[in-house]
Amino acid sequence: MEGNLVEAAVVINYKKTMKKIIILSILFISIVGYSQSTTNNTEYKKRVLETAEVDIISSFYTQDGDNAAVTGGIGTEELKDIATNFVVSIPLNDDDVFTIDATISAYTSASSSNLDPFDVSSASSDDSDSDNKSSTTNYQNLATNAASPWVESSGASKADVWTSLNLSYSHSSDDRNTILGANVSFAKEYDYTSIGVGGSFTKLFNEKNTEIGLKANIYLDNWSPVYPTELDSYLDDNQNLNDGHFENVDILDQNGNTIDKNGANVWSPFKNTLVDNNSRNTYSVSFSLSQILSKKSQISIFFDLVQQDGWLANPMQRVYFSDRDNYYIGNPSSISNYTSPTNTDVFQLADDIERLPDSRFKLPIGIRFNQYINESVSLRTYYRYYYDDWGVQSSTAEIELPIKISDTFTLYPSYRYYTQTAADYFAPFEQHTSTEEFYTSDYDLSEFNSSQIGFGFSYTDIFAKRKVWKLGLKSIDVKYNSYKRNTGLKAGIISAGFKFVMD
Amino acid sequence: MIKKISLLLLSICSLTSCVVVKEYEKVYLNDPDMLLSSKKSNKFETSFQVYREAASGANGGKSGGGCGCN
Repeated sequence: MEGNLVEAAVVINYKKTMKKIIILSILFISIVGYSQSTTNNTEYKKRVLETAEVDIISSFYTQDGDNAAVTGGIGTEELKDIATNFVVSIPLNDDDVFTIDATISAYTSASSSNLDPFDVSSASSDDSDSDNKSSTTNYQNLATNAASPWVESSGASKADVWTSLNLSYSHSSDDRNTILGANVSFAKEYDYTSIGVGGSFTKLFNEKNTEIGLKANIYLDNWSPVYPTELDSYLDDNQNLNDGHFENVDILDQNGNTIDKNGANVWSPFKNTLVDNNSRNTYSVSFSLSQILSKKSQISIFFDLVQQDGWLANPMQRVYFSDRDNYYIGNPSSISNYTSPTNTDVFQLADDIERLPDSRFKLPIGIRFNQYINESVSLRTYYRYYYDDWGVQSSTAEIELPIKISDTFTLYPSYRYYTQTAADYFAPFEQHTSTEEFYTSDYDLSEFNSSQIGFGFSYTDIFAKRKVWKLGLKSIDVKYNSYKRNTGLKAGIISAGFKFVMD
Repeated sequence: MIKKISLLLLSICSLTSCVVVKEYEKVYLNDPDMLLSSKKSNKFETSFQVYREAASGANGGKSGGGCGCN
């Protein structure tokens, strides 16, 4: 009897699935058929994209500073990143374009290496729990105590690779006044996975002098959290300081004295639960309005409405409370020197990971204004105001002055100024108290301003005479940007972009 | 806040009554440097700013989601 019921349920499910497939197939065939018939009825129209295009962009980024979030707002922020992006745009017919956008980005980071500051093992460690970066610790090294927020550890969390793939499709109407688009995306890094879908609608009118755009995206992201090693190990070892990670390791108090691990005053994390909701979803709607002002100037305004839900804090980032006792592993004589970059051999055990609200609403509004000054010089300007309900407000102002020095070469000097207020939940190292509900010492959420100076050049050959295989080189863009924040962070990025068109 | 946004949108909308520029008059506007969006080659520049700053969006790019940042 039970078997028959299961069989019947399977048959019903199968029928439902088949029905959906048939309906979707009919819909798809109808759309394609309609698209074909409208194409045939038109005598001539310019293709949206004449031929396939390939864009390759590579960049090298480096930064350094003294406020690493992984070590609670102090420590080295040294980071290097190499990234490459491939974009292939393929015209499917006169009206439709399919685009493949793939990126790979690989970094090495001193601060994220200090997820496990005691780690001298490599990513190829044969630790049986190798699915967790912080658990590949060579425990013997923990006993040798050579760890500090200012020294890079050599464990698995020192490096990571982020990959992403975005597929998009766009359809333009015969009069080219309506453009519909859809996209799906997937991104993956060690502790984070993202799946996104989106759609867009663009309408041009007023003899293509006015353009409005509407775009919606949903990202369904997921953490595979990794934690600061002492917090993770403490919970893994059943909160026993005489076992596992902490076995035969001396824990020191603020005065540098070794504590009695069986006594009343011992180190323990503030909370015994870590990430309890792995999801992080983002819903965004973007509006844009562009207007031609004259034969030589045009303006555009954009604004986004963004809602994020889920685990919005970074589980790798430590927080230290001012109202809890401090405990260390390492050289007792270096404790008094803990916050100085000269400290190379003592590490403070974390009180907790950062905790932030599970919801965030963002409202950025941007304006772009471009003016063609003369045959040699144009002016590109951008301003953005940003507000969110975590207490952050920011302004961004950017100016670029493209200067054509010949038919093929253009120079791009630029300047960008950025300022933001601190999030309500930010406080520096050891300045939070355990009575707060939310806390972070991530300086990316602190009050700061930054300046960015850039210089680039481009080479353009509209006839794409230089060939690589079947691809003609249409342009090369090279740019360097130097970024300085008043918190001490310095960064530099050099990028090179190559545009090819298919013969 | 809402008032300011509405005012700004109204101001921009009122610009649609400007003189209409015909297709054959758009030679300057069609210059690649006059593009009303961030350039493709700025992709990674925008990406590091999204990581290092609390604000993002309203520039034609991502405004959150897709990475463990922001």
